[in-house]
Amino acid sequence: MTDLSIRSVAVSPVLAPRRRFMLLRRLLAHRSFQIGAVLVLALTLAAILAPLTGVDPSSMRVRLRFRPPSEAFPFGSDNFGRDVLTRVLYGARVSLWIGFVVALLSGLCGAVLGVIAAQIRGLDAPLMRLMDALMSFPAILLALGITAALGPRMESVIIALTVAYVPAGVRIVRASALVVRELDYVQAARIAGAGNFRIMLRHILPNSVGPLLVHMTFVFAYSILAEAALSFLGVGVQPPTPSWGNIIAEGRDYATEAWWVMLFPGLGISLAALGLNLLGDGLRDVLDPRLKGTG
Amino acid sequence: MAAAGRSNEPLVSIQDLTVQFRTDRGWTTAVEGVSFDIGDGDCVGVVGESGSGKSVTALSMLRLHARGTSRFPTGRVLHAGRDLLTAPERELRRIRGGDIAMVFQDPMSSLNPVLTICDQISETLRLHQGMSRPDARRRAIELLDLVRIADAPRRVDEYPHRLSGGMRQRVMIAIAIACRPRLLIADEPTTALDVTIQAQILELLRDLRAELGMAVMLISHDLGVIAEFARRVIVMYAGRVVEDAPVEVLFRKPLHPYTEGLMASMPSLDGADTATLYSIPGRIPDPDETIAGCRFGPRCSYAEPACSAVPPELVSVDGGHRVRCPPRTRTVTPTATGARQ
Repeated sequence: MTDLSIRSVAVSPVLAPRRRFMLLRRLLAHRSFQIGAVLVLALTLAAILAPLTGVDPSSMRVRLRFRPPSEAFPFGSDNFGRDVLTRVLYGARVSLWIGFVVALLSGLCGAVLGVIAAQIRGLDAPLMRLMDALMSFPAILLALGITAALGPRMESVIIALTVAYVPAGVRIVRASALVVRELDYVQAARIAGAGNFRIMLRHILPNSVGPLLVHMTFVFAYSILAEAALSFLGVGVQPPTPSWGNIIAEGRDYATEAWWVMLFPGLGISLAALGLNLLGDGLRDVLDPRLKGTG
Repeated sequence: MAAAGRSNEPLVSIQDLTVQFRTDRGWTTAVEGVSFDIGDGDCVGVVGESGSGKSVTALSMLRLHARGTSRFPTGRVLHAGRDLLTAPERELRRIRGGDIAMVFQDPMSSLNPVLTICDQISETLRLHQGMSRPDARRRAIELLDLVRIADAPRRVDEYPHRLSGGMRQRVMIAIAIACRPRLLIADEPTTALDVTIQAQILELLRDLRAELGMAVMLISHDLGVIAEFARRVIVMYAGRVVEDAPVEVLFRKPLHPYTEGLMASMPSLDGADTATLYSIPGRIPDPDETIAGCRFGPRCSYAEPACSAVPPELVSVDGGHRVRCPPRTRTVTPTATGARQ
């Protein structure tokens, strides 16, 4: 008896790495995931460190308007003489935050609703028809309508984009949950006496969210783009709060004289979208073993 | 029916069970008029080809078919004075994994890949006995020991992908016996495993049955497995019970032509004529096929005109031996031999 316990104590610290860490290691070895992660991390860091420029993003120096990029204004200055660099960095906070929250919220709703649709027969048809109805509108038009109705604020942009991106998430999760619910271990859980709720939460949900995770990184990117579009159209984040979208919108009128006002937030959007897409690609390659080797 | 010397009521009594599934062409009957009893501590084997209704019967006993696409036009499954086919879902949940547990064919897909072995064994314990986490963990280690997994304290925290097929099947058995069920239904528990592991799993099941005093219902298409394990054998064909007999009786003198055919198609080591193996002509009928009279008639080499007139009844020949074949039961004498081909 003592022999056994001594052995088990001696053995447990050298447990082989678990699956989670294996996944993580495979991810970190993936080239496009590396590039994407570096880009996203760099942008996030820049957004967090925005106050380090020491300039108020709203402070105007009208005499110094439309200065091209120089030492004093690395990204130039806009029509009110505000520092574009500072505004782009503060704008990153708003844009990335909106993208992140929308990805998270729509992913969460998608996972819950998708599993419910797959598992509870009576709710499947009504829920999916509702999602189809939402999907029949172009996402940006739907979001435009909702923000217009809720009033142009950051919160309404988040709500609108979440509503616009939930249906795709629900479909993705439902599709994989329909496969998972037929697997033996779900039947085994039922035989062990587990109720519907427990089966959904513990057995179906964790095994169906892989594809959703990939989808969420893309939603993150789309939301940044969509926020820019909404702000550009004037129903998004309102000035003077800078977001990438409304900096571009404000720079539009002077595009020919002061190209830098639109260029730098535009670059921010492109880099964020690129980084998130690469990140998502890497995640997909690692999570879906069938695509292994093609990455 | 005179149950042979059993004390009072059986553990599970299946009476006239008929199961139908919805298909594109209406309701298809998968199992028809199946009745048999399983007593406390019994060891029943169910044999038959694929599609003969073995698994459907087993799943019906716990009402595990999807609602809406299946129905039970007739029948009862009595357990502890209740009909499981009509019992409320909540009550069934208490019985599943509690009084009646089940092990499946494919251990590779029967464990949830994202939960540790400990999580999966504890789930049953926590559901049925409300055990605390540490208690359930301790019990999980005991159970792994009981199903003879070496180094249980370490294995308990591993994920299923690190275990071999045989070990996973042991884990499945550990989960099944966690709450000391009175009946363990094992649905082809060894089919997906290689032969040495098969023997070990069967031995384990036999020992556990003796240790825990539970009844086992073993479903298999492998007569060898059944012969080795069961005390009583139920032979199913095309959704019906065709013969039900104690194992020695069934193997020494099978009465139903189908059982006889099954025996004849087993390779034997003693006979000289093993060069060509016998096979029953034809194939198992589609559940939708309308066959007048005996469902085995078209494949039976003893078929008489009368066989296709009326569907045969399951007739009790002596004590515990029931056969569904009028020509055989009519003329039966205790000396009738199962003439081999």
